[in-house]
Amino acid sequence: MKKLVVAATLAAAVAVLATAAWGSTSASHKVAAPANAGGALVKCGKSRAIGLLAPITGPAASLGQPQVHWAQYYLSTYNKTHKAKYHFVKEDTQLGSANGTAAAVAGAKALGSNAAVLGVVGPAGSNEVKATTGALKGAGLGFVSGSATNTQITLDGTRTGYFFRTVPPDSSQSKSVAKYITSTLKVKHVYIIDDQEAYSTGLADEVQAQLKAKGVDVGRDGVSQQQSDFTSLINKIPRSMQLVYLPWQLPPKAKAFGQQMKSLGRGSTKLMGSDGLFDPAFSGLGSNTYDSFFPLNPSDKRVAAYKKIHHATELFGAPSYVATQVVVGAVDRACKNGTASRAEVRAQIKKTKIPAATSLLGLPVAFDAHGDMVKKPFGIYHSVKGVFVRVG
Amino acid sequence: MRPATRWAARFLCDLPLVSCILFFAELARSVPLGINWSLFFGELVSGLTLGSIYALIALGYTMVYGILKLLNFAHGDVYMVGAFIGYFVLHWLGGPLSPAVTGWFAVGVMFAVAMLGCGALGVGIERFAYRRLRDAPRIAPLISALGVSIFLQNTALLLWGPQFRDYDTFDLVGVKSYHIGTNFFISNVQILTISVSIGLTIVLALVVSRTRTGKAMRATSFDRDAAEMMGISIDRVISFTFFIGSALAAAGGVMFGLVFGQIFSLMGFTAGLKGFTAAVVGGIGSIPGAVLGGFLIGLTEAFATGYLPGGSVYANLYVFALLIAMFLIRPSGLLGSPAIQKV
Repeated sequence: MKKLVVAATLAAAVAVLATAAWGSTSASHKVAAPANAGGALVKCGKSRAIGLLAPITGPAASLGQPQVHWAQYYLSTYNKTHKAKYHFVKEDTQLGSANGTAAAVAGAKALGSNAAVLGVVGPAGSNEVKATTGALKGAGLGFVSGSATNTQITLDGTRTGYFFRTVPPDSSQSKSVAKYITSTLKVKHVYIIDDQEAYSTGLADEVQAQLKAKGVDVGRDGVSQQQSDFTSLINKIPRSMQLVYLPWQLPPKAKAFGQQMKSLGRGSTKLMGSDGLFDPAFSGLGSNTYDSFFPLNPSDKRVAAYKKIHHATELFGAPSYVATQVVVGAVDRACKNGTASRAEVRAQIKKTKIPAATSLLGLPVAFDAHGDMVKKPFGIYHSVKGVFVRVG
Repeated sequence: MRPATRWAARFLCDLPLVSCILFFAELARSVPLGINWSLFFGELVSGLTLGSIYALIALGYTMVYGILKLLNFAHGDVYMVGAFIGYFVLHWLGGPLSPAVTGWFAVGVMFAVAMLGCGALGVGIERFAYRRLRDAPRIAPLISALGVSIFLQNTALLLWGPQFRDYDTFDLVGVKSYHIGTNFFISNVQILTISVSIGLTIVLALVVSRTRTGKAMRATSFDRDAAEMMGISIDRVISFTFFIGSALAAAGGVMFGLVFGQIFSLMGFTAGLKGFTAAVVGGIGSIPGAVLGGFLIGLTEAFATGYLPGGSVYANLYVFALLIAMFLIRPSGLLGSPAIQKV
């Protein structure tokens, strides 16, 4: 009898886990149609699909969820006023999780094999962009990221004509950061800590070069994204350092770093993050916290409407709104004759021209030959009462 | 065997040891000679804090190994569950921002519930996953332990997701930093961690050396069959051992959340490996050895981060190099006794 009870309990536990696991996978990989080659024509119809690659769960979910909300916000406002109705096929890239980029690649392959998907919004991180390029390019899909800022991902030529972004590159970010640190904060000693990921090391290198060129004393170190104990590293930072620059993508980690700094009596040292840390978790560390972030027009009425709908103050996902606008616009134009191919959508993405008046970014959106925006300034923000306020 | 062949075989056997010596010699060469006392004391405190947590995990490994000769690889995940129980208790008490009780009382309740919960979990794991395999070949419970580890990890991922959870210790207890002179800094949470770890170790040592249950544990560890013949309930002793080991791991999990601020579903894997390494370095089966090993691993990690090239990224490389070196130089660990087999 005992054996029977044990066996039944184990069987029930396994069944519950298997059902839950099946439920989660079937929800995200429903369509597994044969791959649509980039040139194959698809009948457009009233219902149209675009892919969305974002860190919906995982350590960077606090950044991924706003991206999903902003992208969805664009689709819902668009669908209200147009005959064609768009929907997302979402794939979770789990940025920063122990899976590495495997989840992102699996998601990209799933989108590539879904014949209905004509273009993709995302992925969020530069590492994920690199990892998914093979799958997305192989399927002929154009992809537009609202947050991948590594300078080289557009300049190395690997994904030219396929990859575009609605955020300025790190080269632009590093100039704004270095200028603010030296001209406004008047800081002479800076310690840079990267997190060993492509996004982080690329941006750290550029900021380091810019600061050194301006005569600043720069120290450099790195951490692993999986690390939680920063105390040993903090001990290593010379007390003469006035500012620690963290080009990271995981706000909870930066929050832990800031708290450990305070617990070791280093609370007076300034902290500056990058766009990946534009999050309440980081701004909540106090008035010694600064951040650099994408350009945005905060007075745009769509920003106010979004905040009202989602009861949110974050703006990190706003460029994903513009990325969705770009992809939907390109599909619309490609679908004018009733059919469209992925190659046609890519060509239309390249021709995008969103005037400043209708762009949420407060500047016109058009792409250069590499896939970068033609105009690309960056803003600097300061934490005031736990909320980032633009100061530069 | 010909002398040349013998020399070649010996050279091949000694190659890993020689490589290790060369590796550490190369590192030693790159260590700056001028002593920065602020950095030295900082790393000392960080190492002791981290070592306290590893020591608590290592105690569970070493106790179970001492009694059952089983490497309980699920132990790191029990530690993770302990951290999550602490987190949920904290939120059940109103959360760090508005706890229904005082911050330090909440911390006490978190420790108590996490230790009791994980103790029960440990007993359950032993009952369902290991008891039937007690007389099976030693590979069977080892595989079962790995299975339990993966089961716990994935269940945690399924139930709680992969995102980080904040203990928000600053809001909960108000972290304060104390300093002696300009070089020695320590926070109240670090003091708590080190003292709780030492306190729990002393309690454990007293339980093992002064109580009837402790005597039964020692007897079971020495000769299980003989202990059974003397009327000792082996099942009860083993369950008690799992309870104590898992409760200590839970305390380590809550400490980790308090000191480093955040926990996540996969935190048990690396911590479990470090705890295991600490137990092996100290001499698996030896309680003082586990504590010594824990502190040694913690200090190695902290000083490697502070002083060695690339240490902040590759601290684990140095920790596991220490494990390999220990295996090569003293396979039974610092305080372990070599197993003697009657042939």
